[in-house]
Amino acid sequence: MLKYVSWALFAVALIVLPQIFTSILSVSILNQMCIAIVFALSYNMLLGQGGMLSFGHAVYFGLGGFMAVHALLAIENEQMMFSVTLIPLVGGLFGLCAALFIGSFSTHKAGTVFAMISLGVGELIAASSLILVSFFGGEAGVSGDRTYGPPFLGFDFAQNIEVYYLAAAWLFLATVCMYLFTQTPAGRMANAVRDNPERAEFIGYSARRVRFISFIFSGFFAGIAGGLFALNYEILTEQNLNAVTSGNVLLMAYIGGLGFFIGPIVGAIVLTLINSVLSNYTDLWLLYLGLMFVLTVMFLPRGLTGFLMMHRTPWHLGKLHLLAKPYAVTAVPGSIFVFSMVCIVEMSHSNEPTFNVFGFALDPSSFLSWGALIIIACLAFIALRRTLPSLRDAWDTANAIDTKPGVRP
Amino acid sequence: MSILQLQGLHKQFGNTPIIRDVSLKIAAGEKHAIIGPNGAGKSTLFHLITGRHTVSSGSILFKGQPIHNRPPYEIARLGLARSFQVTNIFPLLSVFENIRCALLWSQGYKYSFWHLLGKAKALNTRTEELLVEIGLQERRNLPAGELAYAEQRALELGIAIASGAEMILLDEPVAGMSHSEAKNAVELINRVTAGKTLVMVEHDMNIVFDMADKITVLVYGEIIASDVPSKIRGNAKVQEAYLGEVVEEHSHA
Repeated sequence: MLKYVSWALFAVALIVLPQIFTSILSVSILNQMCIAIVFALSYNMLLGQGGMLSFGHAVYFGLGGFMAVHALLAIENEQMMFSVTLIPLVGGLFGLCAALFIGSFSTHKAGTVFAMISLGVGELIAASSLILVSFFGGEAGVSGDRTYGPPFLGFDFAQNIEVYYLAAAWLFLATVCMYLFTQTPAGRMANAVRDNPERAEFIGYSARRVRFISFIFSGFFAGIAGGLFALNYEILTEQNLNAVTSGNVLLMAYIGGLGFFIGPIVGAIVLTLINSVLSNYTDLWLLYLGLMFVLTVMFLPRGLTGFLMMHRTPWHLGKLHLLAKPYAVTAVPGSIFVFSMVCIVEMSHSNEPTFNVFGFALDPSSFLSWGALIIIACLAFIALRRTLPSLRDAWDTANAIDTKPGVRP
Repeated sequence: MSILQLQGLHKQFGNTPIIRDVSLKIAAGEKHAIIGPNGAGKSTLFHLITGRHTVSSGSILFKGQPIHNRPPYEIARLGLARSFQVTNIFPLLSVFENIRCALLWSQGYKYSFWHLLGKAKALNTRTEELLVEIGLQERRNLPAGELAYAEQRALELGIAIASGAEMILLDEPVAGMSHSEAKNAVELINRVTAGKTLVMVEHDMNIVFDMADKITVLVYGEIIASDVPSKIRGNAKVQEAYLGEVVEEHSHA
């Protein structure tokens, strides 16, 4: 029951969001999110569910995307006649074909071997994209136009909002399919092979075949994401299949949380926001993103979703409220510390004599600005170290199961 | 009729022979124990039979069919299951999922991505039955990696027997258990392997002489005796090579 409610909420959110955030920018961000979520979920089929660490997942995204642009061109040139609503499927099928071929030799082993092959194939395809100009279009890439072809229910997809609803429909469909895959024998055995490939073989399953199946599906859904990208931007370049894109999807899945189906969704949303919103405020957003990744790996190995899920035990014990005050008390020095560090970093980076950080006028040439910030940062750090133990205690209390009602262990 | 037949089996790693000219017949329904000092090649013999290692020469016939040098998953599908000396389970999957995965192939699901496990009634019922059988029904939702040691061993056994294999190989099933845990484990093994062919490697001589219909003694990769327990006890070669002290201690006790 809860399952159906979650799916219904997901669908409602997809429908309502562009009605709340109506500006051109927010619709464009929502489009990016749809693409990123499908891509990140497809990546998690490999890493989170199948235990295959890929450094070249952009290959299937990019190849699917390029094929989708070529399909757009074919529609434009009237070589083919079908609705552009099916373009993501073209991308998906091409991603699937690429995964069939590459997976046939890369899924023999998981671990380092798989990771290295994925890296090599990724570099190979990215390099050849600048050589095979007829398909990849060289440095300029390939561009198309999504407004040709027979209109779908009267829409010609000239507006971004029309593309959004198309992308949202594909996102919903792809998410349902990827979720259902986890509930099938092949999907469950992917988890088993991730945990213990050797034992999987002794219960009748070829670990390689199990990995191969996950790999093909992963390529298919990455291709769909590429097709959505092609529809949204109408252009694909080498950037879309290189190592940066591959790294980005790894960050999304990891920061969101590999162990949960919704983890990559959370990661894709957060990273798209950082990508598009934070980059408007600062040139250093990549630095902050990198720090966030390192901190996640160190302190939240199960990602943001894992952090939220940690609160399930206190919730079930009815002790979640015990955490509210310690959280608030820690948040004050914590946010002051982060804020002053950000100011220091931004000031080191700035060339301007005075500039504003969230309304504070700072001057990189003045000792006063530097001194004040460093003192504030130090004080906040000391305060943080003093509040942390009480947070830890509160956490232990909130997670402890009371042996008798009213008795604190 | 013998269900498993080893003929002139050799295995060497590099230049080191581990298994030397082992020939053995195991009858269907027999409880067969393989004993021998550490490093005798007992585990290697299991690995050869179940396809984890390739054989250097010789042959292995299971139900009259050659199985040597075939991959483990093909051998498992023929109805030859095994457990491991070091617990070998799926640590992140729940106890329930561990057993269900072990059932999948024998229930005909193969690599299906068009069946939903939640709707597979017969499969889920059988999984629950097995959980009751191995006494882990109350732990069903716990990740297998969080079970206590003896419980993990029970799960290990459950995974091995889930497929309904005719022949089961157990590698030191009670190693590392306390006396009472081992007693429970033996009861469990007897219960779940009733009517099946059982081959086990075990160091605990009380258990071996209690359970086995036949005992094979392996020393330095060679079989020095293979007979019923009463004759093994009296076998001079066995006493000399390995068992003497242990058997005497056992009979004095």
